[in-house]
Amino acid sequence: MSIETTATDEATVLAQLSGMLRELLEEYGLDDAEITMDTTFHDDLELESVDLVALSGQLREHYGDRVNFATFIAERDLDEIIALTVGELVRYTVASLRATA
Amino acid sequence: MVPPVAIVGMSVLLPGAPDLASYWRNLAGGVDAITEVPPGKWDDTHYAPGEQRRADRVYCRRGGFVDELAEVDVTGFGIMPNSVPATEPDQLIALRVAAQAVADAGGPDRLPADRAKVGVVLGRGGYLTPGLVRLDQRVRTASQLVRTLGELLPGLDADRLDAVRQAFTDQLGPEAPESAIGLVPNLAASRLANRLDLRGPAYTVDAACASSLIAVDHAVRELATGRCDVVLAGGVHHCHDITFWSVFTQLGALSPSERIRPFHRDADGVLIGEGTGVVVLKRLADAQRDGDRVYAVITGTGIASDGRTASLASPDSGGQVRAVRQAWAAAGLDPAAPDSIGLLEAHGTATPAGDAAELATLAAVFGTEGSAVLGSVKSMIGHTMPAAGIAGLVKAALAVHHGVLLPTLHCDDPHPALASTRFSTLDAAAPWDAPVRRAGVNAFGFGGINAHVVLEQAPGRAKPVAVREPERVLRLAAPTVDALREAFDRAGTRETGDGPVRLGIVDPTEKRLALARKVLARGRAWRGRNDVWFADRPLLGPGGGKVAFLFPGLESELTLNCGDLARHFGLPWKHADVEVGDVGRQGAAVFELGRLLHAALGRIGVTPDAVAGHSLGEWTAMAVAGVHAEEEVDTFLAGFDPDALVVPGLAFAAIGAPAARVLEELAGRADVVLSHDNSPNQAMICGPEAAVGALVQRFRDAGIVAQVLPFRSGFHTPMLRPYLDPIRAAAERFTLHPPSLPLWSATTVSEYPAAEAEVRELFVRHLLEPVRFRPLVRAMHDAGFRAFVQAGAGQLGSLVGDTLHGEDHLVVAAHSGQRPGLAQLRRVATALWADGLDVGFEHLPGERPAAPKAVKLDLGGRLISLDEQVRARIALPAAPRSTVDDLAAKGPLAAEFAALLADTAELASTVLAGPARRLPAPRELDTTLPVSLETMPYLLDHCFFKQPPQADPGDRWPVVPATTVIDHLMRFAEQAAPGRHAVAVHDVRLSQWITAVPGVTVPVRVRPQGTHRVLATLAGYSQAVVELAPEYPAGAPAPWRFPASAERAPETTAAQLYDERWMFHGPRFQGVTELTAVGERHVRAVLTTPAAPGALLDNVGQVLGYWIMSRLPERTTVFPVAMREIRFHGPHPAPGERLECLVRITGLTEEFLDADMQLVHNGAVWAEFTGWRDRRFDSTAHIRQADRTPERSTLSVEQPGGWALVREQWPDLATRELIMRNYLAGPERDAYERRPPRGRRQWLLGRIAAKDAIRQFLWARGEPEMFPAELRIGNDEAGRPFATGAYGRDLPPVTVSVAHRAEAGVSIARHGPCGIDIEEVVPRAESTVEAALGPGELALFASLPGDPEQWFARFWTAKEAVAKLRGTGLRGEPRDFEVVAAAPEEMTVRVAGREYRVCCADVENPSGAPPRRYVVAWTEETKETAG
Repeated sequence: MSIETTATDEATVLAQLSGMLRELLEEYGLDDAEITMDTTFHDDLELESVDLVALSGQLREHYGDRVNFATFIAERDLDEIIALTVGELVRYTVASLRATA
Repeated sequence: MVPPVAIVGMSVLLPGAPDLASYWRNLAGGVDAITEVPPGKWDDTHYAPGEQRRADRVYCRRGGFVDELAEVDVTGFGIMPNSVPATEPDQLIALRVAAQAVADAGGPDRLPADRAKVGVVLGRGGYLTPGLVRLDQRVRTASQLVRTLGELLPGLDADRLDAVRQAFTDQLGPEAPESAIGLVPNLAASRLANRLDLRGPAYTVDAACASSLIAVDHAVRELATGRCDVVLAGGVHHCHDITFWSVFTQLGALSPSERIRPFHRDADGVLIGEGTGVVVLKRLADAQRDGDRVYAVITGTGIASDGRTASLASPDSGGQVRAVRQAWAAAGLDPAAPDSIGLLEAHGTATPAGDAAELATLAAVFGTEGSAVLGSVKSMIGHTMPAAGIAGLVKAALAVHHGVLLPTLHCDDPHPALASTRFSTLDAAAPWDAPVRRAGVNAFGFGGINAHVVLEQAPGRAKPVAVREPERVLRLAAPTVDALREAFDRAGTRETGDGPVRLGIVDPTEKRLALARKVLARGRAWRGRNDVWFADRPLLGPGGGKVAFLFPGLESELTLNCGDLARHFGLPWKHADVEVGDVGRQGAAVFELGRLLHAALGRIGVTPDAVAGHSLGEWTAMAVAGVHAEEEVDTFLAGFDPDALVVPGLAFAAIGAPAARVLEELAGRADVVLSHDNSPNQAMICGPEAAVGALVQRFRDAGIVAQVLPFRSGFHTPMLRPYLDPIRAAAERFTLHPPSLPLWSATTVSEYPAAEAEVRELFVRHLLEPVRFRPLVRAMHDAGFRAFVQAGAGQLGSLVGDTLHGEDHLVVAAHSGQRPGLAQLRRVATALWADGLDVGFEHLPGERPAAPKAVKLDLGGRLISLDEQVRARIALPAAPRSTVDDLAAKGPLAAEFAALLADTAELASTVLAGPARRLPAPRELDTTLPVSLETMPYLLDHCFFKQPPQADPGDRWPVVPATTVIDHLMRFAEQAAPGRHAVAVHDVRLSQWITAVPGVTVPVRVRPQGTHRVLATLAGYSQAVVELAPEYPAGAPAPWRFPASAERAPETTAAQLYDERWMFHGPRFQGVTELTAVGERHVRAVLTTPAAPGALLDNVGQVLGYWIMSRLPERTTVFPVAMREIRFHGPHPAPGERLECLVRITGLTEEFLDADMQLVHNGAVWAEFTGWRDRRFDSTAHIRQADRTPERSTLSVEQPGGWALVREQWPDLATRELIMRNYLAGPERDAYERRPPRGRRQWLLGRIAAKDAIRQFLWARGEPEMFPAELRIGNDEAGRPFATGAYGRDLPPVTVSVAHRAEAGVSIARHGPCGIDIEEVVPRAESTVEAALGPGELALFASLPGDPEQWFARFWTAKEAVAKLRGTGLRGEPRDFEVVAAAPEEMTVRVAGREYRVCCADVENPSGAPPRRYVVAWTEETKETAG
């Protein structure tokens, strides 16, 4: 088993992202919501675009330059951003981490 | 071909059913809503069954009545209450029912906007209805009376006669000429059209009993031609006038036995009913397009007449057949095909001729192949005449919609002709399984007019019912947070309360209520997430904060959704609810939306303390603040050129970073500038496309979110300057006015200046300088603004939230693309109210300031009676001229003699008359009845359950017997009518048991019904009509005699009844002294009067209960639910008196047992019972045994290998309640109630199995008798079950394991660790199998012969059983528990190096339950596991 602290498999990244999301949601009292790969940012967690900016900040803090959230949503239009799932971000993050390992 | 027509809304008012939901319940529950004529409706002398026939005599007085239900909220319909008495009641009822039907179809907003496409057709007869009866009394009867009196008593002068007329008409109330229109019959339809603004066809049709279906046929044709898009159709009939009954009596059509039993062999006539029903019809294609909920689809209608036949009054099968065939041909179907039809709602009048003709029709048209159910709702509500068709249509549509075949009452011995058809009747509701559910409805009217409608289920899956009514808003206010929490937790809180701490929830679902609970527990403000608002301290109102309206500018996409808002408040709005993608054309829409929302908010009492806007929204703010006049703005918009908003080559971009950071990046360049400082996390730039694109890329590379926007206007940048002139010129033409409320500028971050010239200058600056929205919001907050209402579409609110993050503030949007305007407005209202503002909720739909005041309608046709004072005043001469008077005129001597004779006569009459008993009329009485073991200690002998002596009395479940309740109702009635006895009780209804622990105080209400009856009610539990009289009536019938050949000696003695607990009654209720004889349909016993109230009559019920127990094997637990009549011929016997009890069974179905009884005292009948109805509950012999001796029997059956299996054989909710109370004691019952409804049944099965397993285990080891209540089962934190003793019982150490699935519960008890599991044998997905079994197991699994589904169940249950034994559960890792050996009855599981042997057994559900197979696995006791 690897002893790297930043493992690049989906389960670990999901756990890390969930933590960030919970921080974001904590003051809204929704920190006990279930977060899975299928959870949507907008419908399930009720995050708005402004919150996503905050999330991008947290991602930068945690992963530095290795994960560019801005690029991630750059290609998407409004409908797609609203329907984004945690899983899509997880996969993007994993891919970014592996590419920059 | 006629297009299929969808039924999208329905409502009714029928006997026993004030609305659609109760009608459905009654239909499915087989409720008989027939009663006697309500007292006072006619003069009692009209009912003369034994007398010679005469036009004014009827021989039947039972039927279907809606008098108690006829209430209408007239003011809600814009009708003055004082015009109600003069108005024909059926018009008001039609209005109520039609409005309900429209609401059921989604509300008036869902009707087409073009009301010329909406019509209403109602079937209605031309009979003498109550309003016209009253008019006739006033006009004709009063005149007739005066004329006849004048002819018979010529001594009366004109003044006296006029006084009579006046006194008579006074009883009818004041004249009301302005309401005379209310008597015109077709207004039943026209009033509706007037009220709902329907401009299509609106009229009534008369085809007697076929009227409703004729109306439906008209509606279908209107939809087919396209003249209408929606039609309300139905029927209305409220006429119980004595003339109507007289017609039926003279025709001989009324049932002499006063029962209506359609298709019964001995059916002998009809009972008359009344009612109204309305359905909303649309072409199916339109309904599907609009996403309506469709109950059923009408695929064909048929109408035909009999033509020349033998008699006008007798039905002819030929015409009926033609109508039915015509309808099925229109539907394109063959009625005789085996799968053509599932349910036929017949006309079914229960007259011999009618039933015979109809059965012949059914045989001819539908043939004999296939089977289907026949029904007639007339068995439940009587014949509703012109409304019969709609009552049947609604019934059939509900049956089709719910997939339930419905019962018909009283058809226990069907008409022989039924056998020649493919139809049969049901006596209880049954599921309807068919590929396509199809029904037909018959309606055949007097004079030979016949109609038939074919219905089938809506295509596609049944959509979940969309919530159509306006959402509820839960609002609570209290002085402190603690008080609010308390009010929230208190179930059934109706009052909003008062105080600064407020909670508002829109559409309070379970999820939202749970969230609110958490929010309240935190005690901190919560503003808006999930539509919950809570403020521990108000920001507004007493909190002093101000409200600002912020108007958004253009959005990249705009979805308008506010048409309903405009319609509700009557505000102008011309845009459709659509997306406006073209930015240029958006401008006008955004502008008008802002104004609409401002006006709508004003209507609910919300006005801003200031307005401001974002970009172009600032123009809206200016208009709203009155700086520009409305008309000038309208003109401007009309001539507005959207292309004026384009500066070629420019682009905007939104950057997810603060303005300062963006400015840094721009580093002073002039081609790209900052155009908007929106919030700490958003700024906007503007410049040439390419440059902006490059900057966006730079930001993204740095990880900052950036997006190019589709606007090209160049606003708020210096780049606009060259293009400014046209706009400046247009703006110069505006006349400026001082703002009527504070208007803030996002350019200067302060209020607008006062001087006109400065305003014009600022207008220009605004277009050239950046929008400093973030500083504006901050400044407004600093100036005391706490609530910001986004008056338009978009995300402006989230910018405010971002800027004010961490500070106390409230942001709420008045428009949302996700829901219609009214729904969003409701949220704004709730949000602002929660933070202290006074909001006018009553202006929103669905909110009412107070309970609606429904006015009771008078459906009666009472004879007029003059009261004492009036009679005295008019004082007509009492005695006619007699020979004595003639004599007096013949001379003085004769006069003296005449006087002497007159004196003598007077004296004689005084002596003979006796003291005049002047009894007051019964009065109203409101009081209470405290029910508890303290006030009614005899209830300890009326406890359902046997429990150990040290148990809580509550566990024994003491309940007030039905007859004790009746006894109390009689006593209360007597209290309300002093000097009178309760001599009879009618229409007793018992709806709920009154439990004595915990004690309860029941409100009692007695209301007079006429001069010698009262309606006595124990609110929520029971009611009865009590008849009162000064003396008990004589004329008791003779006691019944039964032939000796029809009876035999009973097998049980009276003593055994109680000793062996066949009856649960204790000593004070044990009144059966001897069981004398029992027969096929009767039983005789001897009773000794006990002392407890109602106990003697309760024993009558016990004798009945004995009869069913002795004759039937199952469902022998019975409890009374209703009684038609009990009549007493003397006072209650003293305790100790012996009486003979005779019981005659009159009806027995799966659900009910009906009987008549007599109590005979000293050879004479003291009391007669008619129509005593018991309800039967699920119980088998096994269940009864567990009930009688719970301390040594179990519901579970012990299985080989030593485990308990219990099967759920009581799907009936009431029986489940009984079983639950028997097994679970005090706190356990609370735990049961707290469990979520899903899974509650299985949890109970698990508990029963656990208690039984433990008892069986301990009994096998010598422990004495044990009641289930002496055990408590709990679960530890890991979820493992454990058992403790209660009520002083010490349990030896014992371990228990429990499992349940579907209808089975299993449990095992041992001294040491053990585990058991049960699983259903069903197909499993491959992925499931692979997830559960490791590679070795898969190989083993594949190698086993036989049913793989069963093997999988064995593998799984074995793992679970071992996991439970180990106390760990599977922990999501089933493969850790490896099955290493597998045989049908034994498995071996290896885990963490140890091997465990597990036994298996196969179990099946018994017949009667859904077919299922299970596998049960339990751990085998080994040296290690044995204690």
